[in-house]
Amino acid sequence: MRYIKLHENEKVPVFKNVIYALRLVCKADKRLLISYLISYIFDDIFVRYIQSILFLKVLLSLFDRGAEFREYVRDLLLFFAIAAATKIISWVAAYIRQVATKNVLKVLNNMVFRKAVSLDVGCYESPEFYDKYQRATLIMSAGYFDIICYDVALVVSGIVSLMLVIGTVTAISPVYLLFLLPIALVFVIEIYKSKAVYKRDLEMTGNNRTKAYIQRTVFLKDFSKDMRTSNIFSVMMKRLEKAVDGNIKILKSYGVKLFLYSIVSSLFSEFIPIIGTYAYAGYKFVKGGNMTVSGFSVVVSSISTVREATLDIAEAFDEMTQMALYFQNLKDFFDFEPSIKDGNIQAGEFESLEFRNVTFRYPSAKKNTLENISFKINRGETVAVVGINGAGKSTAVKLMLRFYDVTDGEILYNGVNIKKYTLSSLRISFATVFQDYKNFAISVYENVMCHECTDTDKQKAQTALKQAGVWKKTQSLPNGGDTVLTREFDEDGAGLSGGENQKVSTARLFASDYEIAILDEPSSALDPVAEYEMYENLIAATKGKTVIYISHRLSSAALSDRVLVIGEGKIIESGTHEELMESKGKYCEMFTLQASAYRREGGDCNA
Amino acid sequence: MLKSKKNKTEHSVFSNIMYFLRLMFKLSPGLVIGDILSGTLRLLPQRLISVIGIKYIIDVVAQGENLGRIYKAVIIIALIIVLSRIAVLIYREFYWNAAKERLYFRLNKTLYEKAHLLDLESYDDPDFYNNFILTIESSSDNIQGLLGIVQSYVGNIISLAAVAAVILTIDPVCLVIILAAILLFLPLSGKIADYQMGRRIDNTKFHRRSDYFQRIFYLQDYAKEVRMNDISPLLFDRYNDAADDVIANQAKYWKKISACYCVQHIGVQALGFMLILPLYLGYQVIVNKTLSADDFVATFNGAYSIAISLNFLMVWASAVLSERAKMIEKYREFLKSDFKIKDGKNTAEITEPKTITVKNMSFTYPGNDKPTLKNINLEIKPYEKIALVGFNGAGKTTLTNLLLRLYDATDGEILIDGENIKNVTVASHRARFAAVFQDFQTFACSVGENVALDENFDSEKVCQALKHSGFTKSLKNGVDTELLREFDDDGTMLSGGEAQKIAIARAFYKGCPYVILDEPSANLDPIAEYKLNRAMTEAAEHKTVIFISHRLSTTVIADRIYVMENGEIIESGSHEELMSRGGTYAKMFTLQAKKYEA
Repeated sequence: MRYIKLHENEKVPVFKNVIYALRLVCKADKRLLISYLISYIFDDIFVRYIQSILFLKVLLSLFDRGAEFREYVRDLLLFFAIAAATKIISWVAAYIRQVATKNVLKVLNNMVFRKAVSLDVGCYESPEFYDKYQRATLIMSAGYFDIICYDVALVVSGIVSLMLVIGTVTAISPVYLLFLLPIALVFVIEIYKSKAVYKRDLEMTGNNRTKAYIQRTVFLKDFSKDMRTSNIFSVMMKRLEKAVDGNIKILKSYGVKLFLYSIVSSLFSEFIPIIGTYAYAGYKFVKGGNMTVSGFSVVVSSISTVREATLDIAEAFDEMTQMALYFQNLKDFFDFEPSIKDGNIQAGEFESLEFRNVTFRYPSAKKNTLENISFKINRGETVAVVGINGAGKSTAVKLMLRFYDVTDGEILYNGVNIKKYTLSSLRISFATVFQDYKNFAISVYENVMCHECTDTDKQKAQTALKQAGVWKKTQSLPNGGDTVLTREFDEDGAGLSGGENQKVSTARLFASDYEIAILDEPSSALDPVAEYEMYENLIAATKGKTVIYISHRLSSAALSDRVLVIGEGKIIESGTHEELMESKGKYCEMFTLQASAYRREGGDCNA
Repeated sequence: MLKSKKNKTEHSVFSNIMYFLRLMFKLSPGLVIGDILSGTLRLLPQRLISVIGIKYIIDVVAQGENLGRIYKAVIIIALIIVLSRIAVLIYREFYWNAAKERLYFRLNKTLYEKAHLLDLESYDDPDFYNNFILTIESSSDNIQGLLGIVQSYVGNIISLAAVAAVILTIDPVCLVIILAAILLFLPLSGKIADYQMGRRIDNTKFHRRSDYFQRIFYLQDYAKEVRMNDISPLLFDRYNDAADDVIANQAKYWKKISACYCVQHIGVQALGFMLILPLYLGYQVIVNKTLSADDFVATFNGAYSIAISLNFLMVWASAVLSERAKMIEKYREFLKSDFKIKDGKNTAEITEPKTITVKNMSFTYPGNDKPTLKNINLEIKPYEKIALVGFNGAGKTTLTNLLLRLYDATDGEILIDGENIKNVTVASHRARFAAVFQDFQTFACSVGENVALDENFDSEKVCQALKHSGFTKSLKNGVDTELLREFDDDGTMLSGGEAQKIAIARAFYKGCPYVILDEPSANLDPIAEYKLNRAMTEAAEHKTVIFISHRLSTTVIADRIYVMENGEIIESGSHEELMSRGGTYAKMFTLQAKKYEA
């Protein structure tokens, strides 16, 4: 419900948005709007004016003059030539349009992607922002950019042909204007109507999100195993039904309002023009004397043309205003300023990283995730960060990388606040392997190097893959290191196991020139031998480098120079493995518990 | 699975359309009837007035001045227009929107229910998967498209008949000319539909690629990775490659489609209606003088009305229908597609654990050359705690997939209490197992529903299960707290470890004899892991437990350990037996344990 509150009092500048949309689309590819305009203007003038009015008028006047058949044939051939030429122009334009539309899609997506990459990670976690983003992407995914061009073309061509027809009728008698002018009011009503429809759709956003989510749970492989071995499917179907019922309720609640708008709209677009014209034409026909059969038929067929054209324009106009509202979302998206601001100095060779009284709270959270944390890591140190689940270990990493900025306190890189550095130079100093690592549907080599690979790059990637212990597997793939990962869209793609995927992700670290390595649970999906090898390799590869380990397996903590134990957002212990074991605190308790499982004897840590 | 069906004869356009109409009618009769009526009300008055109304008024005038009759005619026309419009608007704004939403729902539900029954391997077959997505995504288009046609279809037929009757009384030759023009160019419509279909299918392929890259920038999952590695230029390039393919494909097909349309329109509208038809009419008026100028107007207006109706019915509607019919064909194919995992005749009962026997079982994933499992033999006695260990990719997860009949073995068999698991229904077989997968999912519903995986859950039992799994996060609405933010903006987000505890709680909740745990402690901290091991031993005392783990500390408690390598079982026995044997297991265990020796 709060979406409505967000938007209720917002005045939406429809025309400004239409102009914005057209500018944007033309910036992407002018051909789209131009070809739409050409094909519809030619088509509409032909169908509405030449074919249904001018044609009749010319032929009837030939009959009136008692012209010869030869003259009649000559005029017919002229009309045929015009008709054929119009069709050719409009279908050539249609062809250009169909190609241009995909090009516009490509350019717009590029703009959106580029913007998305510059956004804060936090944006993805905010439902309001995400909703807006989702509506903005509909412009591309549902082709709204194309629809708005179509609508604009329909409105323009409709108005042009309408003016031609009205001109013809007015030439017969200006009185007809009385019945036709109210048509203009239709547009005012349509603006109100489309606002109501937009509001209605906005109310349905939540339900539609539910519908989309459930569709995803049905057709994504990720959910397929859990769905099949439980009753959760029926839960999902109930949820779906609830969302649909909610939508139906919303749709019904708008019924009266929309009905009234439509009726008033019909009054001006149909009732007054048609009835008035028939009545007046009939009256003139009988009384006026100067009205002929041909004149009467031209007026009558003009009226149905005017009506059709008006309805088309109104419909297109209505749709156009709705589309324009989506462009407001896109505009907001493009105008959105990331809160993580770029600094202007380059991060140099790493000396030290310091957290000074850092407190952090997630934007919508009620509790601090980190509370007044201070520690310093010097060049060449290996530091393990341990703690129970949810203690804030991963959050600390997000802060170093400036995915979020601290709520209080500061983080210093070489003694300078990290906010002063450019984001790219800061982030490039770190190499990370995340707990929720992701590989991409690109080749293995590219997954490692993160860019298009030359032969030298491939050599480098190979070394990294060897270090990560996944080179043998890579070699066995159909195209070796050039094999695309996942079967997302390539039947020859490689479906790697969780452990293998993690190794590829780790190879990324081996291949990069980093200052500090951050390893967030790098071994969680690995078998014991692979884990052992991975650690050996990591130790060798990171020798002399600064490493931050986040791990539940305390065996890796024992190898580090220093251990930080985080509990409930605070650092509760810090020191070397030996020191911490000595002090018999939380770390000692955790380590002993884990080790005991291997020793089959109880631990002793009752300090 | 689909491949075997490819040679099957397809249904005719008519059969497909009728099939879908019947389906729509069954799901929402009011909507179908209402659309037919409202479509007729929209078309008929206007068409008739333009032919009969005009003729009537001209007749009245020809009979002498009679303003009264003309006004009467105008009032009738006015009434017809106003009343029919109001009726249509009432239907549309008060019924149509809601009924359509409901129809979409009912139709999608049948699709989802079918999808839910699909074999897991269907998801691995890109061809089938493409079709599957196309079917789901086109279902609303099918409804929209068909209703659009239905709306105007009957109205057009009636007005066609009415106007044709008027024209026949004036000159039958006109009808012949109009029909000939349209029929001559009709075959082009079939061609256009084929090209459109080809274009769409090719585009789906390319769009799948471009959509993937779109998702990367859209989904939170990738946000961190994209920001840390300078990978976006490469992803942009890949997206652009896919987008360029779409553009090329679009150009290739639309060149042909536009040409067909152009020829057809010139033929029917320009040549037929603007040259030959008026040529004939004019000849009758000027040369033969068998028609008057008044007749000419009535015939000409009528002829256009027929042309529009016929053009709609035979060209436009048939193009749309034959295109729709092809989508509906896919829809039917999907609904009829067969599964490999077939129900057995018997219903498995939830009993005390029985012996599970795996006999000479081999398995090769569809489309793979190498078997993932080779000649596996094992016997799991009731109440045993079995650990599966081994290298990544050794086939451990696949083995559990086969136990659950997510796939069926290529060779060999699995018996429970001596009965082949294929002899019982899939649902009742799976009901005997609780499974926590490595790639488990939490669902956007309440905590209780997530644990029970059912809407009717016992809160007490859910709390108990959560306690066992070590879930300690405080929940503001207890077991009714919504997870994820899909439905609820205030939904609770869980960390990886907490989510895993939810998944493990499922196994504790479900009252069944067999439990499968795939890497249950991967995301857990040491204390949680320790507690979980203890809780599991306690709670699973009366169950058979099969677990996969890389942390060999957990395998110590197992009654029997199977070590797998390259799809084969290479060692088996208790921890002590394997340690004293000094094989692969001993090597792995020592590697891990060594690090804890302070």
